[in-house]
Amino acid sequence: MVKINDLLYLAVHPNQLRSIIQWKLWHDPVNSRDPDKETENLKQCFYYLNMTSRSFSSVIQELNPELLVPVAIFYLVLRGLDTIEDDMTIPLPKKEPLLRDFDKIMFQDGWNFNGNGPDEKDRELLVHFDVVIAEFKLIKPVYQKIILDITKKMGDGMADYANNAEFNENGVDTIKDYELYCHYVAGLVGEGCTRLFVESKLANAALLQRPELSESMGQFLQKTNIIRDLQEDYHDKRRFYPKEIWSKHVTNFEDLFNPKNVKAALNCTSEMVLNAIQKADECLFYMAGIKDQSVFNFVAIPQVMAIATLELVFQNPKVFTGVVKITKGDACQLMIEASQNLRTVCDVFKRYARRISKKNNPTDPNFLEISIACGKIEQFIESIYPTQDPKALTRQYNNEEEIATPADAKVQAEHEEAKKDILYLLIAVMCTLFVISTAMIGIAWLAGARFDIAFNELRNGNFFPKYQQGGEVAEAIVQQHDHIEL
Amino acid sequence: MAPPAKKNLGNVLVIGGCGFLGHHIVNLLHDTYTSKISVLDLSTTRNRRPDSDGVAYYNGDITSISSLVPIFEKAKPDVVIHTASPTLMGAGHELYRKVNVDGTACVIEACQKTGVKALVYTSSASVIHDTISDLKNADERWPVVPPHAQHEYYSQTKAEAEALVLAANRSPTLLTCSIRPAGIFGEGDVQILPPILNVHYTNRTGFQLGDNTNLFDFTYVVNVAHAHLLAAFGLLATSRASTAILDHEKVDGEAFFITNCSPVYFWDFARAVWAHAGSKKGTEHVWVISRDMGLAIGGLLEWITWAVGRQAKLTKRQVKYSTMTRYYDCGKAQKRLGYQPLVGLNEGLRRGVKWFEEQRTKEGEKKDQ
Repeated sequence: MVKINDLLYLAVHPNQLRSIIQWKLWHDPVNSRDPDKETENLKQCFYYLNMTSRSFSSVIQELNPELLVPVAIFYLVLRGLDTIEDDMTIPLPKKEPLLRDFDKIMFQDGWNFNGNGPDEKDRELLVHFDVVIAEFKLIKPVYQKIILDITKKMGDGMADYANNAEFNENGVDTIKDYELYCHYVAGLVGEGCTRLFVESKLANAALLQRPELSESMGQFLQKTNIIRDLQEDYHDKRRFYPKEIWSKHVTNFEDLFNPKNVKAALNCTSEMVLNAIQKADECLFYMAGIKDQSVFNFVAIPQVMAIATLELVFQNPKVFTGVVKITKGDACQLMIEASQNLRTVCDVFKRYARRISKKNNPTDPNFLEISIACGKIEQFIESIYPTQDPKALTRQYNNEEEIATPADAKVQAEHEEAKKDILYLLIAVMCTLFVISTAMIGIAWLAGARFDIAFNELRNGNFFPKYQQGGEVAEAIVQQHDHIEL
Repeated sequence: MAPPAKKNLGNVLVIGGCGFLGHHIVNLLHDTYTSKISVLDLSTTRNRRPDSDGVAYYNGDITSISSLVPIFEKAKPDVVIHTASPTLMGAGHELYRKVNVDGTACVIEACQKTGVKALVYTSSASVIHDTISDLKNADERWPVVPPHAQHEYYSQTKAEAEALVLAANRSPTLLTCSIRPAGIFGEGDVQILPPILNVHYTNRTGFQLGDNTNLFDFTYVVNVAHAHLLAAFGLLATSRASTAILDHEKVDGEAFFITNCSPVYFWDFARAVWAHAGSKKGTEHVWVISRDMGLAIGGLLEWITWAVGRQAKLTKRQVKYSTMTRYYDCGKAQKRLGYQPLVGLNEGLRRGVKWFEEQRTKEGEKKDQ
């Protein structure tokens, strides 16, 4: 449903509207699902995918056919696990074995789970989880193995946290804990996806040698969500901001939400944003290892959304009162740019790094560190897409006179051409004006206009006709001249 | 954990060791190495360590070989670190040539005559910069700007001296290398922190020239000192090595860019300085003047102030400098020298500004007396 508010907003933000229209009109999925060839069971899986995921369902459904089902199932399995972990109504003795043995559940035909509380948003998925299990058994065993491995690790990690009384009572303590948590819920997903990509030969196998890169991909997304969802999580009595960070800015966690402390609270989110963007360069590096367009879109779209979200939450007091989201138009614009190539994604990162730096406040204790982090992103992009060529400089110096680089020569030629065009345009305008003026003056003269009178009056300093005195004066003037001439 | 065993560099002679960079090199040598330290400077009264530290101070003139050789014979250096140079703004063409080029030639000659093993020369990152164009992520592949394209005479003489030093490598046994630091600041600097602090003290922080998207490298002086000592260590290791050094590990005959490995937006650096000096201002009060507008105003002011015989408050040179991009990739120093900044940019700034604030308080007290 389109809301009237949205329409009004778009009416005054034509750029946003343009992006939405462009995305809807011109976006051409790299691959599309073919529901006609799918079993009823698989269709059910995609139904649950659409139901449980807002941001991932469309990119998953455009994936290369080789990975389409494995990634969709991977997502649903982890979503199922997450739905158990998330639900505070499930008692711990029941929850823990479910989390730890979720990989074994994948072999229990017909397994379903009705134990979620009525308010759990994705409870439907677990109620019908047998469809996921049935499809899981049909995918290639190598993919099954990867999915099971990650499911086991994540389930154990979640169970450890669920058992951790300190965590449940006081939230995350140190930055190390915070990043370990992000590792369990997101870094592992990065690892699993990377193994699937490499296994299907759609990504460079070297990515497996650099596990910190896929870790950074996951951390970047998870940290962004945590920063953005501060208020919502607080409302649900959960604290993911590590105490090590917030305690530098406020005494009690609740103080972040007191409007009196807005400056300190903003400094706190700044430090969280700084922590998140510090490894953004590794995310770009990771994306350079993707060989398939659909996989590239799959990984790049969430990343650009994340950096745009970080820019949005940075120095934004609305984070303490609700959830801020990027506009639909911006999201479409970002999706257009992210579904092209690494270069366009780099452009997005650079643009948002600069926007973050523009909002950066010198009174923030992390002011310079944030500037350094933004500079690091720019420097990394410059290192993979250099804009200067030392060899050309050497040639230039050696030849004494300046030899323009090819790009410069082109620009200069365009410049010259533009200059010429303007000259021709001016001449044409002048000619037209001359012809029209001559014609008008000629016609006026033929019709009896008295230019001599006009000139004389002007020479006497009468620049404006004296209307108020009406025809009398005019008549006198005309007569005066007529007498002289006649 | 016990501190790691201190490294030894043998006898080290620091030329210009009472200067800004030089005395930081002496301090770092004294604190983290076990070496016999000698200092040669035109005048050795300022930036002097207490006599109990055992640093030998020699007054000498590097433009005179007859002044140098006796000192070299006495100090018997294994390593010479040559940091002496007039400051960027402080001298005329003649002095630059005499000290930077002729003086360096003398130092090389003295090294060769007295059997010095290693010579580390303090060059400048400006040798590849014509003072006008942008430099983006430049590394050692970038060509040195030839005299006809160089707009800064200082940089031209530094480049000439560097070429002499590198050409003297392995002639016959002397090993040389060159350190090219970018934008050195810290306790005692005269070129970067004082003018920026002055803007804050005179309450002129409300201007920004350009859109502040230009990244710039600034380097804390202790990191530059650290790089010199790593380079000296590398040269000594090479001179001891019995096998040939691989090309991609070579230190001798090479130049190295040294930065803090953290380029920042130009005005962010200035604002961070002001914040450390106690400014509570954000950016709400800042009036942004575009580069073109700045150049126009600067040009106009230069004419007017020239006509009335005064110094312009805003010059075209300042506008160009504060809107240009100038940052380096110091990966080569990281790989071959094992260089990593010892002190982060923000911590370096904190220390540097604190020092200037203390000096200011002292001067204020003096005036009060």
